[in-house]
Amino acid sequence: MQQQLGYIYDRIETLSPMHSKKLKKNMAFFDDRYLELADTFFNKYTRILQAQNKTLDYSIDCYLQMIADVNSETIEFLRTGKYTSSTFDEVNKRVYARPETMEYYMHGLIMSQFLWRHHYQMFNYFITTLPQYVNVIKHYLEVGVGHGFYLSKVLEVLNPESSITAVDISETSIALAKSFINDSRIDFILKDIFEFDNHKKYDFITLGEVLEHVEDPLKLLLKLNALLSPDGVLFFTTPTNAPAIDHIYLFNNVDEIRLLIKAAGFQIESEMAILSEDVSPEKAEKYKVAVLYGAFIKKSNPTN
Amino acid sequence: MDKSEILRIVNGVFIDILDDENIVLTDETTANDVDEWDSLNHIQLVVAIERQFRIRFNSQEIQRWNNVGEMVNSISAKLN
Repeated sequence: MQQQLGYIYDRIETLSPMHSKKLKKNMAFFDDRYLELADTFFNKYTRILQAQNKTLDYSIDCYLQMIADVNSETIEFLRTGKYTSSTFDEVNKRVYARPETMEYYMHGLIMSQFLWRHHYQMFNYFITTLPQYVNVIKHYLEVGVGHGFYLSKVLEVLNPESSITAVDISETSIALAKSFINDSRIDFILKDIFEFDNHKKYDFITLGEVLEHVEDPLKLLLKLNALLSPDGVLFFTTPTNAPAIDHIYLFNNVDEIRLLIKAAGFQIESEMAILSEDVSPEKAEKYKVAVLYGAFIKKSNPTN
Repeated sequence: MDKSEILRIVNGVFIDILDDENIVLTDETTANDVDEWDSLNHIQLVVAIERQFRIRFNSQEIQRWNNVGEMVNSISAKLN
């Protein structure tokens, strides 16, 4: 196994043997493409950390802190059937407005991109499907840019003349994404998406794991429907049953997400649902194991 | 309820959640000794044990346990 990746797995095994067991199950699903992508990614990420006087050990600690948070949120979720927060104000005070929390959370999320099988598989689904739309994308928008990994790969796929806009509500996210992607083609905008309107229609919009962070996901999808060109495509992902310190909208199952797509005036072009743990579907339902859902969707009535 | 009875009931919960009839727990048993005792199952075990004994653990307790004996001690302290 590649050097950085091997180090990360060994260190997690030392610090958290129980979590390490889960990660080792994931590894059985990883192929050569994974090893190549993960290696490139962690080399780049390590250089960014070094520039900030940080080490990979720091990021592993951030990741394990995030896992500890997820575990306590999951226990509470299994006790009550609800996420611990339900309003934006609550999670804003608890997470977004606290730079120290955002810091470990973002680094933890970056690590999960390649340590969690479902994150990698969803990324793979996105990046292998995107090329079929590339020729019609003049204007590309990403909402909730996070750590910028998706966007960094989009740059490799899109035509050079396409315009690229990235909107995020978090200054920490934008700063981190900029450190990952140094490309003048991207127009980064620090703004709440509900307040964003530059009188432009987009041919492709990406919304990665954002719906679960808003109080009214239908309102957000309607907003994106309005920002899309008539034949534009929206790719979005969101999980079911995924407690986290900043998740406020609970999807109990994939059908609830499909109903939302329809209600927002979209139809599904293609979709993928991935269990977050290596368990049988029966056990997944019994234990409320998270499913990561992703879909490419288009307006059901393009004249609107 | 004495600790040996608590251990017997906890053993039953492990068998049920991990779906393995052969599990025999002792106070010294750790996650290293039980293949299926990973982070996902640990959470399920915690919640099932809470339901079984009608108790609640706090997150510090859950993270502090090093073996089954320490888990049994936490349960015993809440019951007695």
